[in-house]
Amino acid sequence: MWLGIWLAVAGLVLGVLLGLNIPLVLPQVYAKYLSVAALAALDSVFGGIRAAMEDQFDNTVFISGFFSNALLAAGLAFIGERLGIDLYLAAVVAFGVRLFQNLAIIRRHLFEKLK
Amino acid sequence: MKLSTYLSLGLVALVLGVLIVFQFRVTRHIEQGVPAGRAQELALELRQLEKDKSKLGAEANDLSLKLEQVTRGQTEAEKALKDELAKARLLAGLVPVTGPGIELTLDNPPQQAGGRGPASLYAIRDEDLLRVINELRGAGAEALSINGQRIVAHTEIRWAAPFINVNLTRIVPPYHILAIGKPDNLKSALEIPGGLVEYLQDLGVQVKIQPYDRLTIPGYSRTTEFRYAKPVVKG
Repeated sequence: MWLGIWLAVAGLVLGVLLGLNIPLVLPQVYAKYLSVAALAALDSVFGGIRAAMEDQFDNTVFISGFFSNALLAAGLAFIGERLGIDLYLAAVVAFGVRLFQNLAIIRRHLFEKLK
Repeated sequence: MKLSTYLSLGLVALVLGVLIVFQFRVTRHIEQGVPAGRAQELALELRQLEKDKSKLGAEANDLSLKLEQVTRGQTEAEKALKDELAKARLLAGLVPVTGPGIELTLDNPPQQAGGRGPASLYAIRDEDLLRVINELRGAGAEALSINGQRIVAHTEIRWAAPFINVNLTRIVPPYHILAIGKPDNLKSALEIPGGLVEYLQDLGVQVKIQPYDRLTIPGYSRTTEFRYAKPVVKG
């Protein structure tokens, strides 16, 4: 468990360093897609933490969910742009709601553990 | 937990970190710059303006070329007009002219001391001058003057006793008549047997003809205004 957390933190730090040092700036047109993808990824991560706390963590589900959510969110934003509908809002709302729900459940689990 | 789980956790965290930092950087970049939509709009506008600019540049080139042509045409037209004007002034007798010709000097018969009768009886009259002028014109004189008065189309030679008026100017004897033309022709026209010189000499007038290789006749110096005569507009 702790090893997993440390690994995750190490991966995050490495990713941040990597992202800061890549001499490449995405065109502004893609900023919207990237933002929704990041949101979806965050949602998956929180879902994963929750699942881990409920002892239901499945690595395959987590990994596939992480990437498919990110890709779907970006794809939605892309299609919405082409269609003239702000479809990325759907991703924002859905993932946002789930983020808060997951956070609430994680909070409760943490409280139960602390008791 | 299995190793693959840890690996996947690390991978996911890595990807998440990259994603978030990238997004941070892009957002900061956007804040520094202009919004994406606006940028696109501006780029479109820029392209349009560049197109306009190149079009206008081509137009400017074309117009300057035309202007150059017109200027060239104008200088030619101006030159032609000036030539025409100079010709017209020459024809009208407004400019001094020079060339070969003769000088004809007529003087009244010398007053005899205590002579009988008025001197004007034998004096040169306007008709005499007119005949001389007419004869010279007929002999091909191209420019004529009497005592510095240029003979032009509306010159009068009129007896205004006791003077002769030419161009509204009094002239007095001796009369110096200058004529530009072929000196031989002019001279022979006057001196033809039974001609003007003989006639005038018969009257007692002193006649002297002097050919010149080069003499200068002044231009008509008064201004001419047409107050009644208008050109006919052909249409």
